[in-house]
Amino acid sequence: MTDITDTEVAESELADSMGAEGVGGDIAAALAVPDPQPVYAAIAACPIMVLPGDINVVGAAASVDALTRNHHVRGSGALGNTGGAERPLIPLDLDRPEHTGYRKLLDPLFAAKVIAPLEADVRALADELIDTFIERGHADIYDEFCALLPSTIFLRLMGIPATELTYFLDFKNDLLREYPGETVEAGEARVKGAAARCYEYFNTVLDGREASGVPGDDLLGRFLTAEVDGHSLTRENILDICYLLMIAGLDTVAASLSCIIAWLARHPEERQRVVADPAMWPDAIEELMRWETPVPVASRTPTEDMRFGDEIIAAGTHVTVLWAAANLDPEKFDNPMTVDLTRRPNAHYSFAGGFHRCLGSHLARMELRSALDQFHRRIPDYRIQPGVELTYEAIPVRLARPLPLVWSV
Amino acid sequence: MELSLDTEACMGHGRCYDIAPQLFDADGEGHGVLLVPDVPAAEESAAHTAHESCPERAIALRQ
Repeated sequence: MTDITDTEVAESELADSMGAEGVGGDIAAALAVPDPQPVYAAIAACPIMVLPGDINVVGAAASVDALTRNHHVRGSGALGNTGGAERPLIPLDLDRPEHTGYRKLLDPLFAAKVIAPLEADVRALADELIDTFIERGHADIYDEFCALLPSTIFLRLMGIPATELTYFLDFKNDLLREYPGETVEAGEARVKGAAARCYEYFNTVLDGREASGVPGDDLLGRFLTAEVDGHSLTRENILDICYLLMIAGLDTVAASLSCIIAWLARHPEERQRVVADPAMWPDAIEELMRWETPVPVASRTPTEDMRFGDEIIAAGTHVTVLWAAANLDPEKFDNPMTVDLTRRPNAHYSFAGGFHRCLGSHLARMELRSALDQFHRRIPDYRIQPGVELTYEAIPVRLARPLPLVWSV
Repeated sequence: MELSLDTEACMGHGRCYDIAPQLFDADGEGHGVLLVPDVPAAEESAAHTAHESCPERAIALRQ
């Protein structure tokens, strides 16, 4: 699928779009389509793409592995603080050695065995949400299901009342979405405003917890009593963790659900196979996470010179990592352009790799499995509202929104 | 067949103990723990799948 011509076309398209508007403008638009896979696959065919403007992109699995498994590499923090934050987000924007101590605190809180007992809760919540629209025979499944389910579960984990859900969804959208027609200045002000509200909100909650002397039996309570490398977390440490968790917890599973349901809506025969045999869900979800790659991109910065193919990348150079391309590399996956819902093994890149592996991957997998299984038990047969072309966003997160589905009642 | 797990390379994806719980378990941080280094013949297929499913290639197999 990925010959030289494809690669040249992809390079030229990418160079044009990046040169015209800088990264994040046209490139996002070019990938914001139902089937961006051919473009990503073409990028996977070369060890590294060096584009005008000192833009370096790796998509080949071997290059991504070499970069992300390297001990001499920094994560996204090398580019600055993520998402309008005043300080580096913990642990996303930190690197070794500080990163290690925080992961030793956070990994046990999100370990698979800790997450497993929440499955009943997720299924019950999925049922409650489905109850609100099933009799109607149609719904915007993004707004009424995908966006609400992981956010609600996450607020419960944090210990934040469900009544605050709208407040946090607005916060997340202000941080991560693009608003058509908005000026650059207005966009920056919007992000800064959202960041300030997030700090203010958690400061107020944490003040209350400290004043009451009861830290609480939730994530916030854990942070108030935790130690990292022999010291208690400072207020700023806790805020920097909360900020990261809100961004990650509110958005990525919602996006993943929307991508997967949209794909299943577009491929009814494949959907019917899984509906007939729900034991297929775990492998089907892994495969659709590979194919859709809801978090398609990251940044890594080697701290020593690295070679990719014929190119030497100097220490300190920022490199864009395309997980979405590595997920389609034929050197890594048999027939990568075929969606095989029974594919196994499937060592995909959709939860990142190396020491910045997605902290919430176990929570995400459990939520996807429970929510998708429950949804399809209740609504096994659905289709996209006639006359509607689905719209996708690509960067920073791939999602299908709105997602108007119809079914018989 | 012999399995080994490079605990330095393991990043806690958890694919091994999800796919082959008869061969791997999780520690408190969710990182893999190798339970059965000497793989019985009946588990060779599971060992192969675990080896190939590790996103960090932290699991080695020796015949």
